Amino acid sequence: MTKYTIVDQDTCIACGACSGVAPEIYDHTDDGISYVTIDQNEGMVEVPAELHDDLEDAYEGCPSDSIKISDEPFHGNALKFSEAM
Amino acid sequence: MNVEDEVFDITIIGGGPVGLFTAFYAGLRQARVKVIESLPQLGGQLSALYPEKYIYDVAGFPKITGQKLIDNLTEQMNQFNPVVALDEGVEKLEKQLDGIFKITTNSAEHFSKTIIITAGNGAFNPRKLGLETADKFEGKNLHYFVSDMQKFAGKKVQLFGGGDSAVDWALMLEPIADEVTLIHRRDKFRAHEHSVELLKNSKVKVMTPYVPLEFIGEDHIEHVILEHVKGEGTKSTEVDDVIVNYGFISSLGSIKDWGLEIEKNSIVVNSKMETNIAGIYAAGDICTYGGKVKLIATGFGEAPTAVSNAKVYIDPSSKVQAPHSTSVMGESEDKIVSVSL
Repeated sequence: MTKYTIVDQDTCIACGACSGVAPEIYDHTDDGISYVTIDQNEGMVEVPAELHDDLEDAYEGCPSDSIKISDEPFHGNALKFSEAM
Repeated sequence: MNVEDEVFDITIIGGGPVGLFTAFYAGLRQARVKVIESLPQLGGQLSALYPEKYIYDVAGFPKITGQKLIDNLTEQMNQFNPVVALDEGVEKLEKQLDGIFKITTNSAEHFSKTIIITAGNGAFNPRKLGLETADKFEGKNLHYFVSDMQKFAGKKVQLFGGGDSAVDWALMLEPIADEVTLIHRRDKFRAHEHSVELLKNSKVKVMTPYVPLEFIGEDHIEHVILEHVKGEGTKSTEVDDVIVNYGFISSLGSIKDWGLEIEKNSIVVNSKMETNIAGIYAAGDICTYGGKVKLIATGFGEAPTAVSNAKVYIDPSSKVQAPHSTSVMGESEDKIVSVSL
């Protein structure tokens, strides 16, 4: 199954949980805010299948629901598939 | 007067590091203080998310773990015996005609002359199971938080989760409960290697890769149906108690509806830490102003500013600038040494 991911940096609280469980997908900037390393947080590059378990761990472990996952690319918009706020 | 009706000088919403230091400082300024915290424990993000991680940017500590910092702050705060209300999420806020604030939580009402909001990123709540059959067992034998291990003495306990605290809880319950089964949806646990090693050598039964599918029981969960993640069927298991440890989720919740000026999930304050509502202040990660830096270190600085200005709001004759604690607390190492000799 194809999966894309992006971090909503407006709600990320810089706790480091995602890069802790999925270091091959997420890292954080100098101010602690997370981003997707494989495509500079654009949500455009497929997450390799062997990392899908880590992806799910990060998604479930994010305390502010800032990790977004979709089977379609995000085109840089973390809220692309979220309900209207 | 009942304690419930007592009007406090300063009520602090949020028992994280900045809230605890605010409570200490308010005590130092001789205010009657109450702290309201949504979780059954103090410590906020530090205790909930990274109790064992080192923090390197707290003044005076080359490094300190999250939990140790919270323990120290709690000890510091308790010198003034504040009232602490745990496991209470704030819901409604009302400024009464007499200017006293009435704060309604999920289980009580609190009265205060001023409020300092130190709620960080909002209230933490345990992440719940997405099962339809789960809700009705909450508060019975489905638990999202363990505050008293002894409750599980001699019981058959199923614990769901794969992180550090799930593994730690399983290990702590093992000698107390009759049987502990740890269930995780993948074979790998995302816990410290050392804890996983202890787990392997313990009597805890580990079931992977399974997820809960259904809870069966009238009043209490009697059986849990577990589903194999990779399609190898389901299993029915007998239980006395179910504990779910899927981490925490934070949200600003009802604070957003109190009429406070909010910018990107943060409360706007001025240089006195005043919000747009007279008598309500904010400090720490939840507040914002031009040049704001979200760190524990800066929150610790904002706390005395908020308290001192709240103090003047309560009593206009008091001073914003307080005497140094060395004079107020009035004890020195020298004195202690000379007494003990």
